[in-house]
Amino acid sequence: MQSIKIVLIVCFLLVIVGFFRNRRRVELRAGTRILALALFALAVASVMDPDITMIAARALGVGRGTDLILYALVVVFTLTTLGLYFRLREADQRVLDLARMIAITEAVQADGLPDGQALGRRSTRGIPSATVGASDAGVAASEAEVPAPPDEVAADRQADHPHAPPGGDE
Amino acid sequence: MANEDVWVIVPTYNEARVVRGVLEELLVHFPNVVAVDDGSVDASAAEIVATRARLVRHPINMGAGGALQTGVDFALLDHGARYFLTFDADGQHRVSDAVAMVEHIRTHEVAVLLGSRFLGTANNMTRGRRLLLLAARWFERLTTGINLTDAHNGLRVFNREFAQVLNMKMADMAWASEFLARIAESKLPYAEFPVTVDYTDYSRSKGQRSINSVNIGVDIMLNRLLRGHR
Repeated sequence: MQSIKIVLIVCFLLVIVGFFRNRRRVELRAGTRILALALFALAVASVMDPDITMIAARALGVGRGTDLILYALVVVFTLTTLGLYFRLREADQRVLDLARMIAITEAVQADGLPDGQALGRRSTRGIPSATVGASDAGVAASEAEVPAPPDEVAADRQADHPHAPPGGDE
Repeated sequence: MANEDVWVIVPTYNEARVVRGVLEELLVHFPNVVAVDDGSVDASAAEIVATRARLVRHPINMGAGGALQTGVDFALLDHGARYFLTFDADGQHRVSDAVAMVEHIRTHEVAVLLGSRFLGTANNMTRGRRLLLLAARWFERLTTGINLTDAHNGLRVFNREFAQVLNMKMADMAWASEFLARIAESKLPYAEFPVTVDYTDYSRSKGQRSINSVNIGVDIMLNRLLRGHR
């Protein structure tokens, strides 16, 4: 009796892991829907005739019908929670991918592609002041404050164009 | 100027007090610096704009790993970029270490070079933090098979090949583990490099609470176990 419990628990854990590792398979999705329908039918049946759960509990060696329902509830709840956890993760991932795309697109539109040469970022010093507190427009202002040779200023202009082709390697 | 082919990625979240100084110090040695503002609610973005570093601004907070991946994606748009360096915005790293690491990766056959405060120096590290990092090291060794002296150092440099396969999905602090998992999967050569980490009152106040490592560990295990097939 005791050892069979351990076997059952191990099997249950393996089923959960296998279930979630394969959760994208169509057969499994169909299976969960059929299972849900079957559980629903069982629920209706047990409402109409409460003895059914008791008979089932006896057959399975569980004390009372309510205990059987409690066990079933734990199983369904675990699966539901894990399922929702992964659904949420996937939804989060989509939001993050989207936000990342927006962030990069905005940065490229504001200052051009991240090409070191095209942006004329060769001089290393120069601390522009008075741009703190400026909003997004402050980027252009800080660029202007950095003293740069004329050819680099021209390169800056070119870089301002978001569709400017990336410059070649040195 | 040297290091034209290097992009420095600085994930930034509410670091208005220090980020400008860190960026300006970096800009002395690296012409290409991108600060990823991870939805800061303070003046971090304005501080970044005040420097010549590029700013990429997340519309929402994504976490350190998310910011890092955004920086890598952005830097990859520069076809001339050969090396990618990550550097924390809170001032705990030293720019001289970053310069030395880039020199090292240029001259050695490694794809990923990870800073290690245990090979180098950790100033003012608390005992608790030391124990936590030791536990993290064993955790990584068991879960990814990668054995490092310092598994969670923010100072790293990697080449373009690794940058292209990085594609980190875990946005929160679990990114460090995911990073190592990617190294293991890619089978690219990696090495550690001694660096100095300066713990200040500021960096300690910004740092992770140790108990959060429980959340991270559980998340990683769940994800590994139940990752699923695509």
